[in-house]
Amino acid sequence: MDRAVNDNKPSSDSIDQMRKGTTTLAILKLLLDTGEPMHGYLMIQELEARSRGIFAFNEGLIYPRLHQMEHDGLLRSRWEGEPGTRRRKVYVVTEKGRRQLEAEMEQWETFRRGMRLLLGLEGAA
Amino acid sequence: MPVDDVLERIRAQMNLEAEREHEVLEEIRGHLEDAVAAGRERGLDDDAALAEAVARFGVEQVGEELQATHEGWGVMEGIAAAAIPVLCALVLRWLVFDPAGTFSGWQQVVSRPAFWLIAVAGLVIPALRFPRRRYALASWAIFWSLSVIMIVGGAVQR
Repeated sequence: MDRAVNDNKPSSDSIDQMRKGTTTLAILKLLLDTGEPMHGYLMIQELEARSRGIFAFNEGLIYPRLHQMEHDGLLRSRWEGEPGTRRRKVYVVTEKGRRQLEAEMEQWETFRRGMRLLLGLEGAA
Repeated sequence: MPVDDVLERIRAQMNLEAEREHEVLEEIRGHLEDAVAAGRERGLDDDAALAEAVARFGVEQVGEELQATHEGWGVMEGIAAAAIPVLCALVLRWLVFDPAGTFSGWQQVVSRPAFWLIAVAGLVIPALRFPRRRYALASWAIFWSLSVIMIVGGAVQR
């Protein structure tokens, strides 16, 4: 019984694949929603809480993604805290990141609508 | 196992420019310290809190991903760092100073808006391009050095 139920669940691999493709979107949305500079650890806590645990992954993997986003001009970072004390690198969204989020939200919505139609979860309008 | 040992394991998988590597590891240190503090608050002892933080962090995979992400950035920055001052110096040389390579009228050059425009661009472009200010200042210094060499060299040849 348990086996049958588990077979019908999405595998962690497929959730992993979907998460990888949506991490940038999730980070941009989180930062813009909170409107506050955030460091990586705090972002992970918030992403996990918002997704009710579904968006859980190796925490360290957020850093290559943050660095790539900063390199691409989607985020800007700065260090908070005095040297010699506990310092944190915090990130904020740039104007380019804001535009990217809008574009990705639109693409995501189109994709979601298409998949719901394909899977018969929504009647064709 | 202290946090430093964990950072050393990550460092072992990276081969980045020293300053970039230091920044990356300091960021990770902050993360691990926060995670350990959270574990302690939930009643774990120091070792258990760190072990949990390390397991959640995914040390081995992260080192490889960070290396893959940062690989090649230094090369691109190096190319840009070399190209920007050279381009600015060439523009200054051929558009603002006398193209014939003499000093004639150099006193008037500083009153031309184009001179100041290029001089400012030579500083602002690298400042926007590079995350570190000293790169921008170094680029600006190279720009002026090249400019002086080209202008003086051209005049001497005449």
